[in-house]
Amino acid sequence: MSLNKFRTKSPWILHYNAGSCNGCDIEILACLAPKYDIERFGMINTGNPKQSDIMLVTGPVTKRSRERLVDIYSQMPEPKVVIACGSCGCTGGVFRGMYNCEGGIDQYIPVDVYVPGCGCRPEQIIAGVVEALAILEKKTKDMEGSVKLHNDPIEQDGQTNRREVAAVI
Amino acid sequence: MNSSIIQILLIVLAPVLGGLIYGFERVVRARMQRRIGPPLLQPFYDFLKLMDKRKMMVHSTHAFLGILHFVSLWFALAVLIMGGDFILIIFLHLLSTALLILAGFSTRSIFSHLGANRSAISVLAYEPVLVIIAISAYMLTGSFNVSEIYANTTPVIMKMPLAFVALLVILPIKLKKSPFDISEAHQEVVGGVELEYSGIFYEAIYTAKWLDYIFCYLLVFMFGGNNWGLGLVLVALTFIYINALDNSTARVNYKQMLRFSFWVALPIAFLNLLMTMFHIL
Repeated sequence: MSLNKFRTKSPWILHYNAGSCNGCDIEILACLAPKYDIERFGMINTGNPKQSDIMLVTGPVTKRSRERLVDIYSQMPEPKVVIACGSCGCTGGVFRGMYNCEGGIDQYIPVDVYVPGCGCRPEQIIAGVVEALAILEKKTKDMEGSVKLHNDPIEQDGQTNRREVAAVI
Repeated sequence: MNSSIIQILLIVLAPVLGGLIYGFERVVRARMQRRIGPPLLQPFYDFLKLMDKRKMMVHSTHAFLGILHFVSLWFALAVLIMGGDFILIIFLHLLSTALLILAGFSTRSIFSHLGANRSAISVLAYEPVLVIIAISAYMLTGSFNVSEIYANTTPVIMKMPLAFVALLVILPIKLKKSPFDISEAHQEVVGGVELEYSGIFYEAIYTAKWLDYIFCYLLVFMFGGNNWGLGLVLVALTFIYINALDNSTARVNYKQMLRFSFWVALPIAFLNLLMTMFHIL
């Protein structure tokens, strides 16, 4: 149990762009740059789902990217938290109701912290991550079961269609 | 007797010492970029955090090879500290890298394959230079034992300065530092061979990196001969050199790295071998 507090001291971040306009991504990268320097909290942008604790997702989930989103989420070992960055990630933003996306990351994977704003400020992202760390500390490995895919991939026109899958906990 | 206690302590505490060096390096690198940087004990926080993560194995051989990489590297380090055969040390270090390369090829991930490929190429780049340095040391002391080099009364750097230069050239390749960090290039191959490891198995790879620091800095320390102060000064200078180089250069591709290693480092080492052979210095 005492190991839990070390999670808050070295959260490694995975950043995934689920069809964002890059506005929020620039702000996330600004967090890593000298001005905001989130490495002083021990955070590293790993880019590798198997070694990261916090998943930062930006953008409304487009139909092309949701399969990867669920894939990457299921590759992260527990304990993990998900942060939805930006208006589009939280609700779909200006893209809500469009034909190519369905608005919001929480329709596919469980989201712990929502960071609003278009694009969200680096201060807000840092505040959101700190919020997420409190959740991460309480989580246990058993709390989350492994992710199952909602629908089985279907064969369509000679190729595997995995677009209709979603995560079920 | 007293020195053997120091040796055993050094071997047992090598991962802790390496972690401290890595933590200090991260602070120094952050200060060079005008950042505050993580705390000094950050590698140990990472270590304790990774212990608690869920283990996701690709397959058991992959995880086993990762742990073997750590064990064989520690073994190589132990032989280096005890002053064993230089050729054996180089071979054991090569073995540990080879195990990691095998682990990289044992998964189906493309990035892992690419990383393993690039690791093999970096071995090709630095290994000949190390062997030539070992042969030069043999010419100087008449023995392949590293303990002879540790006991040398005149500092080895005075006798073979060019070997030290060659070592400085290949150290970034060995430590996977820019401009020669092709084997774990985070922006290209996302860490290479370490990509598929997670949880406690990644910890083995992560800690092996700390052992690698100790290994490389001990090779530098060796050039001080029996003058410990000179050895520590050399280590400190090398530390600053490697971090400054890491911060100020961009990554080259593997062909440029091989060309640089074969046309610059290898001739320098060879020249050093000739100079030692004919007792010029």
